[in-house]
Amino acid sequence: MYSSLVRLQNTFSFFTTVAFVVAAFIAASDLLAPRTPTVSLLKTTNLQVVRGRPHYYSSKKEEYAIIKFSLEADFSSLFTWNTKQLFVYVTAEWPSAGGTGSGRNATNQAVIWDTIITAPSADHLANIGPVAMKKLKRSAQGKSIDPSRGKLSLKNQRPKYQITHPSGKVAEQEDVVLRLHYNVQPWVGVLTWNQDEEFWKWKPLRGSLSKKFSLPALKKKDEGKKEGSRV
Amino acid sequence: MWKGLSVITDSPSPIVVVLSGSMEPAFQRGDLLLLWNRNLFSETNVGEIVVYNVKGKDIPIVHRVVRKFGTGPDAKLLTKGDNNAADDTELYARGQDYLNRKDIVGSVVGYLPFVGYVTIMLSEHPWLKTVMLGLMGLVVVLQRE
Repeated sequence: MYSSLVRLQNTFSFFTTVAFVVAAFIAASDLLAPRTPTVSLLKTTNLQVVRGRPHYYSSKKEEYAIIKFSLEADFSSLFTWNTKQLFVYVTAEWPSAGGTGSGRNATNQAVIWDTIITAPSADHLANIGPVAMKKLKRSAQGKSIDPSRGKLSLKNQRPKYQITHPSGKVAEQEDVVLRLHYNVQPWVGVLTWNQDEEFWKWKPLRGSLSKKFSLPALKKKDEGKKEGSRV
Repeated sequence: MWKGLSVITDSPSPIVVVLSGSMEPAFQRGDLLLLWNRNLFSETNVGEIVVYNVKGKDIPIVHRVVRKFGTGPDAKLLTKGDNNAADDTELYARGQDYLNRKDIVGSVVGYLPFVGYVTIMLSEHPWLKTVMLGLMGLVVVLQRE
């Protein structure tokens, strides 16, 4: 009794099965691509602590750290056919008052800068203006994978986010470090972050930690008011 | 199967459908996310994409953790959508400035594009449900020969 409906159902279920198997293969192919990300430079270039308000209508005053930094890293090996985007971010980390240790055991961690690097196949999804979009698309014309986008070189980069602490105090904080992270977003499969241990063909991200530094004392005059007022 | 998955991942809803574009270009509307809510090797950390619930709102939100102060269950977490300019303080409940670990339903570990779009279609166009029901009824009637 083969009605057309049964045929339709069978076709559909076969289609979904095939789609899932193909997706699983694509996801598994990530493991075969070696990952060798490197960081050659991560250091702070300028430190500032200013007073400001968390948002325009707030009367609360808090201290905000503005950490400028330089960065040189090569993430080109992370771009494969299953890479949709790479999310790169820099965090500042410091131990809490009274606590000890930093780095892995940091108890305070805040993103100061991040960027989304889309693979050429995901360019049309990026949220940017039409001019920038045209430029972005032209930069990778004819290529579906563009590893050169994974090369980052920033000099004296302003942070995107001025950071503070729930207590509102960050001035003269000691033992602060910057750490570079990445997150690979696949087209299908498992999301991956930078790892500390080697995992078969995936190398750990070495040198992702900056030297320890201390934040300066509060800037006297309210010169950076505008910067601190929006977080 | 849903219950089993729920127990394994320790999350009340281990699979969620993305409803907004605030995490674009990583996640579009209709993408399916697989969640994991256990902290076997490390705590929920900055950079992870988490799904959280806000008191008084029933829609779970998928955003990235950008700040973390303190450790353990009392750590204060702040989230932000990749596609949003500002962090999520305004989305939280009144007087709430940070999330706690218990607000989080799970961290995103797996990703499957587009599959969940059916649910969005059904919830945004209620007439589709009627059409589908009608079609099913018609099939039942037609198959009784």
